[in-house]
Amino acid sequence: MPVNAIRLVSKSQNGVGAFVLQCKRLEFNYCDWAGSSKGMNSFLKNVLPKFAKENPQIEITVAPRPHRHPIIRGEYINGREKVICVANLEHNQILQKADLLRNSSGLKLKRFNKPVKSENQSVRGIYSPFHGANWQI
Amino acid sequence: MLQRILRPSVLRPVAALLRPATAAFSTASPLRNLAQETVAPATPAAPIATAPIETPAAVEADPSISLLPLLRLQGAHYITVHINGFPFLVTKGDQITLPFRLKGVSAGQTLKLTHASVLGSRDYTLKGNPYINPEIFSCKATVIEETAEPMRIKEKTKRRNRHVKKVRSKHSYTVVRIKELEVLDV
Repeated sequence: MPVNAIRLVSKSQNGVGAFVLQCKRLEFNYCDWAGSSKGMNSFLKNVLPKFAKENPQIEITVAPRPHRHPIIRGEYINGREKVICVANLEHNQILQKADLLRNSSGLKLKRFNKPVKSENQSVRGIYSPFHGANWQI
Repeated sequence: MLQRILRPSVLRPVAALLRPATAAFSTASPLRNLAQETVAPATPAAPIATAPIETPAAVEADPSISLLPLLRLQGAHYITVHINGFPFLVTKGDQITLPFRLKGVSAGQTLKLTHASVLGSRDYTLKGNPYINPEIFSCKATVIEETAEPMRIKEKTKRRNRHVKKVRSKHSYTVVRIKELEVLDV
């Protein structure tokens, strides 16, 4: 078996043991005067209590932001934040945006190259021409 | 049909011991050259999209299970799981960015992966036809997040025509992490 060198850096394995949701805070900003906030106001009254109850690990704040479009601001454990403007959206569409913020980590969007990302050594070992059935002394 | 291939190199270490000059150079170990086994259940291969997994009636009835304890006792394992038909070769703790969005899941949920075509360790490999009996292994994954790629814009145009058509793409991806990969004791 290959020798394991002393590992000085810990591997990030969120989800292997326990899973920590990366979204820690959601702030909903609405406006009483703007017409674009109609869906947001309806969302805050009817949909948000249930959403907040299903996600006790997220700190949810509701604050007026007068004379502006309604927004949802999400803060993540890595320190970044994502802001989505939900002007003129219906309450069910706003719920979709809230789910999007809840389900993402704060990482910047990256191009998709290879699906599997692994920090483990290869199970079958590195190829060697001196081991195996075809090697003859 | 059970295939048990005993390669001629298994006999080579014995011959090497008789020749003191080459004994030190013998690198083939007997365990390494034991058979790579294939599992072939009696039922024919089922189409992936529609039918459930076709497996033998009982795990004990399958004759190729005899080497499974040896596979199980080895340290590291890998598995080729199929998610929506896409194969991924993973070990425990790996993160898979699926090239699509899994519907009906949210971050934090655990998925049980039941379709696997290859389960292997360093010296032994178990192949399914097309899938392995799910009672043999346990593979679970946690949904980490649902992301997307950055927006990319493809510009389509013809020569000597000033009109440019812009096609926007922003595919969504689900990221899962393998939280458990075990060969079970059957």
